[in-house]
Amino acid sequence: MITARKPGHCGTGAAVLALAVAAVSGCGAPGSAASSSGSGSGPIKIAVVDAQSGQSSSLGQWEYDGVKLAVKQANAAGGIGGRKIMLTLFDDQGDPTVTTDIAHKVASGGYVAVFGAAESADSIAMAPILQRAKIPAITSGQSPALAALHDPYEFLNTPTSVTYDKTLADYLVKTRGLRSIAMITNNGAYGMGEHDAFKADLASSGIKPLADEIVTPNATDFSADLTTIRQKNPRVLFIGAEEVESGLIAKQARALGIKAIFAGGAPMGTPLFTATAGASNVEGSIVSSAYLSNNLNAKTRAFATAYVAAYGQAPELHGAKAYDGAQIVIRALRNSHAATGLKLANAIRAVHYTGLLGTFAFDSDGVGLFRTHIGIIRNGQVVPAS
Amino acid sequence: MQVFVQTLVGGLGFGAIYALVAMGFSIVYRTMGLVNFAHGDIVMVGAFIAATSYMSSRLPFALAVLISIALTAAIGLVIERVLRPLEHRDLDLMLIGTIGFGIVLEALATLVWGATGRAVPIPVGASPVDIAGIFVQPYDLLIIALAGVAAAGVWFLLARTKTGAAMQAVAADYEAATAVGINAGRSNAMAFAIGAGLAALAGSLAGPVLYVNESLGATMGISGFAAAILGGFGNIPGAIVGGLAFGLLSGFSAGYFHGDSDLVTFVAFAIVVMIRPTGIFGESTVNRA
Repeated sequence: MITARKPGHCGTGAAVLALAVAAVSGCGAPGSAASSSGSGSGPIKIAVVDAQSGQSSSLGQWEYDGVKLAVKQANAAGGIGGRKIMLTLFDDQGDPTVTTDIAHKVASGGYVAVFGAAESADSIAMAPILQRAKIPAITSGQSPALAALHDPYEFLNTPTSVTYDKTLADYLVKTRGLRSIAMITNNGAYGMGEHDAFKADLASSGIKPLADEIVTPNATDFSADLTTIRQKNPRVLFIGAEEVESGLIAKQARALGIKAIFAGGAPMGTPLFTATAGASNVEGSIVSSAYLSNNLNAKTRAFATAYVAAYGQAPELHGAKAYDGAQIVIRALRNSHAATGLKLANAIRAVHYTGLLGTFAFDSDGVGLFRTHIGIIRNGQVVPAS
Repeated sequence: MQVFVQTLVGGLGFGAIYALVAMGFSIVYRTMGLVNFAHGDIVMVGAFIAATSYMSSRLPFALAVLISIALTAAIGLVIERVLRPLEHRDLDLMLIGTIGFGIVLEALATLVWGATGRAVPIPVGASPVDIAGIFVQPYDLLIIALAGVAAAGVWFLLARTKTGAAMQAVAADYEAATAVGINAGRSNAMAFAIGAGLAALAGSLAGPVLYVNESLGATMGISGFAAAILGGFGNIPGAIVGGLAFGLLSGFSAGYFHGDSDLVTFVAFAIVVMIRPTGIFGESTVNRA
């Protein structure tokens, strides 16, 4: 057996030093801006808080790319009254505890606004700290819990799950006449939002799901839940989970002989979902999305061209909504002459902007879009349902 | 009944992957007494190399796996060589060194492959086989078969070859082994390389059933570590049994406890470890008395 060893004293010293550094960097006094970039000259500092590592890293990457493109274009056109916008990226690893830590740093770092996070749970974690510091944030999260915060500093660049799922349920039941529906959702912030919204929509049409299976966000083996679903023989399987997990569920569903049509919200409209599941497995899937494809109109095509030129790959929903969100904040900064705090928040609310996802008109809870569209996956691409 | 059997089949498939990861942990622990905390991230790197070789370079899947094993084994050699000076001075520092290497591997992977990850299509037998209402994926059978071959290979190495004997000699009595001319450093390097190779095999095979991104390391690392502990840390047959057991535990837990499945899995694991701390087959490691 290994005999116990006393830790070397330099090991202990290093540990103490590391703890001290972590403690100091972790608590900046909230609200005391190092040097507020709101007034006067110098760059306008905006924080981007997103997962650049971990399971949600794709979402964070797409959001950052979308925001960067909008800011680059704005700066090239002269910025805000001659002042450039400077973005600082914070990696929150898709972990709300890390996000909270970052929010404290942002609160005392002289940032006038936040882009992020891409995940609802992280945005909800940040919101109280940013509200106290009077820093508006525009998030790509879509959980109804974000609107339920009633936070004057929180804005969504997408409709909430409620809208996504109502559009989807209406299409399935009223347009396609499909009433034999099973559900599988995860119990994360996004998944629970999807679960509750979709189940309520089905109930309003008098439909009870044939199966209502819950999985954890990091689950990998869905054999038990999917076999239970297969025994009920549904025509539609609603999936409420993030891109990768949805893709794994779809892949395993087909491997277990489930022939049902998959239906779901925004994550199912991404190339990531299709690639993870396998394009042949998701043919005919029904997607409710606020941004179906890059070919919708001249605006989306121009955006896609610029995005491809900048990043070498085609954009999708997350990049598009982040781009729209950034454009709105840029307009608000221009309209308010680089205001900060509540003035900037009110300026954002006052922006009426027709972007890639539609026309934004924010309500008091920060929701600006109230419509999504239905698409069908054909040959690995999402096309508008006729 | 159908749900039970199907869950069993699914659990064995994932269990075989955990078994491979557990074997990698165990062979290093058995011969060096070291828990290699970079092991999960080595699995991740192996998965990325195989995915890139298979999809970007369009090589046959088997070749992609072999390339991954070779390159990842080389990474194992590098880690061992860098940490070798600590091996007989302070094992705790060497362990912390492996944690550091894990972080480095994750950062390097993001630099090389980006943050988005890779979805890998199933390379063989994409259609499941329906056996009396139970669906079996041929690919899962392949994983189980390869895990068995790997286990047999490792057993053969340790029990029947000079290299294996040397590795166990170093573990049993470092001074005596060195005295008879065994190069302990090289022997430990071999252990690390084999461990890394097993990690690469696990990662390469896991790619098509999961999703290859930087967080794969953490998931595989924790599951493989738990599997190794269940079976007896350092014990090769224990790694197989522990891996399969952990795969079944996770699968059934998800089926019966749904949203609470993670909690239940690890509570059950904790109870087993409290009852039998050295695992099913007992712990096997160096004699450092």
